[in-house]
Parts: sequence; structure tokens; C-alpha cells
Amino acid sequence: MITLRGLTKRFGSTVAVDALTVDIAPGRVTGFLGPNGAGKSTTMRMILGLDRPTAGQALVGGRAYRELRRPLHEVGALLDARAIHPARSGRAHLRAMAQSNGIPARRVDEVLDTVGLDARAAGKPGRTLSLGMGQRLGIAGALLGDPPVLMFDEPVNGLDPDGVRWVRELTRSLADEGRTVFVSSHLMSEMQLTADQLVVIGRGRLLADAPIDEVIAGSTVVVRVRSPHPDGLATLAARLTAAGASVEAADPDELTVTGVSADQVGDLAHELGVRLHELSAHAASLEQAFMELTADSVEYAGGPTRGGAR
Amino acid sequence: MSTGTRHGAVAAEWTKLSSVRSTWWTALAGLLVMAASAGQLAIYAANDNTNDDPADDLGIVTVGSVLIDSVELTQYVVLALGLLAITAEFTSGTIRTTLQCTPSRGRVLLAKAAVTFAVTFALGLLLGGVGVGVARPVLGEWGSAPAAGTLGDIVAVAAYLALVGVLALGLGAALRSAVLTLTVLLATLMIVPLSLQEPDIDVLNRIADVFPGVAGGHFLAGDTEPYPSLVGLALLAGWAGAALLLGRTALRRRDA
Repeated sequence: MITLRGLTKRFGSTVAVDALTVDIAPGRVTGFLGPNGAGKSTTMRMILGLDRPTAGQALVGGRAYRELRRPLHEVGALLDARAIHPARSGRAHLRAMAQSNGIPARRVDEVLDTVGLDARAAGKPGRTLSLGMGQRLGIAGALLGDPPVLMFDEPVNGLDPDGVRWVRELTRSLADEGRTVFVSSHLMSEMQLTADQLVVIGRGRLLADAPIDEVIAGSTVVVRVRSPHPDGLATLAARLTAAGASVEAADPDELTVTGVSADQVGDLAHELGVRLHELSAHAASLEQAFMELTADSVEYAGGPTRGGAR
Repeated sequence: MSTGTRHGAVAAEWTKLSSVRSTWWTALAGLLVMAASAGQLAIYAANDNTNDDPADDLGIVTVGSVLIDSVELTQYVVLALGLLAITAEFTSGTIRTTLQCTPSRGRVLLAKAAVTFAVTFALGLLLGGVGVGVARPVLGEWGSAPAAGTLGDIVAVAAYLALVGVLALGLGAALRSAVLTLTVLLATLMIVPLSLQEPDIDVLNRIADVFPGVAGGHFLAGDTEPYPSLVGLALLAGWAGAALLLGRTALRRRDA
């Protein structure tokens, strides 16, 4: 269980994390979503006692991280796969971690085996590890103390498709064992496959904390319309817009409509006598739900919206 | 349990230090610098006694005094061990892993200090042996090596290097950057006290005597003026302790 209570972090006048109050429950995978710069990593660093909150608190199992004596038995975390000494082998990196928390040396071999790093890879100096191997090593470190709480910051970054599937299955099985699993990602599609619960933030503020199905259900359905008659399609678009729908013309022969149902679009097309080649309703994806949720809070949008918190 | 984690933190720091090759290269570099430095100073001492100018004559010098003078240069190689033990963590980002494993900043720094002290002390003994081994034959008839005195000098050199190593560690924790820390160390150990001593004004000399390098020098030389040699040792230890406290404060206050 991870408990955030009014967790706030300011860097000068910038509010990186803004009064975040969330409970991350055991037994499920909680996805942590937000655009770049939303405050995900800062939040995770505060949970681990690396950054000091400006206000509020972050507790793990009811205690502040800095009070933990052997924290690897309580929380396992992968923050930055690149954070290994360039000359130190992965095995020595893990051995030092294990020693610091009184974990027996054989556990190092166990976790190396779990993450699929063989003796050769584990003996290579840090600078020669690929990003994917670094991710596996980081996950091995998180698993060392067999902790009830796990946090992974962008764990599938740099992994090949096999690795991505492996992380997906690992997070699932860790949650099934009753652990708290908190995974950040900017890959919405990945979250859709792994997460049970979603915590979405934008500009440091909580935008959603709900089961993933609810987040998706809360977003709009998209209707796609194709017709061999551009003129008819234009008339249809005009009528739909007048009816309050939002219409986008990707091509002269294709429309993307939101705000009305496929049935309504079909009825209108029939009424206008426009021949259709396609009329399909698309279940909203998490990606879409995410875009809608964070539309107002993207810090680095393409346009001139960058800067100043509102 | 708390002693367990303390031992664990020390063991982890030893693993970190011993698992990177730069540690061993640094130790080797220290040995080479010591050998070169002791050899050169021994040649100078012998030459001074045999050249045409009788004003240069030093008479018979102890091997220990040559060893102690060789530390002047060698210490900058040795203190790199203490320095890199912390600054490499900031550069590579492993400081976050370290603090995840051991959230108590004081405990992390103490563990590093214990390992740095032990390693630089042991290396200091080895360096002392090498320095004596090189200087003795070069000095020839102009050198003396009383067993007890020489052994005492070797141990003193080891203690001096260990404390300077810890001083470097503490400063590194506070300043984070290796280059900045080395600059500050050069200034504190050598440049500032030398500048203070240059005009030979009593007040400035007294101030210089408090600096760690000068205090350590009085300790190594077994001086009785301006204070007993053990006071020199205590002053140097005080500097190392103060640097550790400074480093701990910085680690606690700053985000990692």
C-alpha cells in the first residue's frame, strides 16, 4: 500500500506535484500516467525519500521511506535503468545492494535468473549494458528483497517485444501474489494491457484515479464514415456539425465524427441519400481517454502553450 | 538489527569500491608516485651531501623523513579514493540506488568513511613500505633507518593518508563534483596555507598551522612546536570529522 497525502513538490515557482492524494492498493497493477513533465518521476522519487516533499507526505505501508531500516524488504523500485556505475558489473551492483539489506548472496543469482540475465551479461561492466539489459538489471534489483510494494518507472523502455511481454506478465503475476504494483508509463496502449487501476496526472495534479474500464468508458466514442461521394460527404459533415457533432475530415472520402452515435450518423446519411462504404463506431482506447483527460495539462505541447502553470 | 544493517552498509561500500578497476589503478598509481617521489628525494639528499657546496650538507637523514616528504605529492593520488567513493555515485546516478538501500544519509556516509579509512590506511602502510624500500638503498651511507622510528613513520603516514581520504570523502559529499572537490582540497591542503606562510608574519603562520595539511605535517614530523604532534593529528582528524558532518548535512538537505 502506498499512501500519498497532499503530496506537493515545488521547484522555485514551478509546481511539479500539486497536492496529490491517492491510495495505491495492493493486489492490482496501478498504472501511473501523465504527459512528459507531469510529475510522475518526482512523485516516485518522493515516495522513495529521494526528494523531499514541499508539503504533504508519501507513506509506504504506513511509514515514511526514510524511516525504513531495510527498505529493500519493503519496497522494490526501478527508477533509472541508466543508473549503474560504468565500470561495475551488474552482479557486483546487485551484490552491494543485497549486502546493504542483509540479503543472502544466492538471492542475487535468483533474481538474475528471474529477469533472464545470464552469467555473461551479469558480469559485463555497466557501460556496456544495453538499455534493455539495464531495465532487466533494475527490475532484478527491485525484486531482491522480495518486497510487498513494487514501483517501476517506465519499465518497458528499451525492451524488445519479448521483453515487453515479459514485463507485462511479471507485473501481472506480482499483483496476483497480492503485492502493490505501481507502474508509470507514457505508453497508453501498454497500460491498457497491464493496469487494473489508473492514476492520471497532468501538471502535477490528479486528473483521474479510477479502474481502467471507467476511465475508458468516460471518454467519447468515435464514428468513422467513408463514402465514394465527396460532395455527399461534405453535406453530411455540414448537417452533423449543425447537429452539434464534432467532425474531422481526414480525407475527402472519410470523416471522423464524435458527439453522436453511429446510428444517428447512419440515419442522417440515409435521409440525405449519401451512399456509404463504411460506417463504424470505434470503442475509445485508453490513448484517447488519456488525451482527453490531459488535453489541458500538456506542458510541452506543440503550440505556444508552453510555460507558466495556470 | 541496526548493527546488522550498519555492517551491511559497510560491506556494500567495500563491494562498490573493490568492484571498479579505477580503485586498483589508483592504488597502483599511488605506489608509482611514492616510489618515484621517494627515489627522487633520496637522490637529492645524497647529492646535497656530496656536492661542492658544504652549505647544502644535511648529514645523515632518516629514511622516514624522506618518506614523509614523499607524502606531499602522493597524498593527491590517495585522496582520489575517498573522493571517487562519493562523487562517482553522483555522476553515475547510483546515489539514488544507494539511498534506496540505506535511506539514512548519516549511515551511508559513515559506511563510506569506514571503508575509505580502512582502505587508505592499508594502502598507506604499503606506500610507507615502498617509500622506505626505495629510499633506503638510494640514500646509502647518508641514510639511517632505526627500526622503531621508521615503523612509527610508516604508521603515521598511513594515519595521515587515511584522514585525508576521509576529508576528501566528506567534502565530495558536500560539493558533489570531483573537480570542484579536488580544487578545494588543493587549496585547503596546500595553496592557502602556503600563501599564508609566505610573508612569514606570526599571526598568519598561526592561522596556517590550523590548516589540515600543515597540522598533518606537524604530526608527521613529530614536531613539538607550535603544538605537540598529537595535536596536529587531532586537528587533522577534526577537519575530517567536520567534512563528514558537512557532507551529511548536504546529503540530508538536498534532493538526490
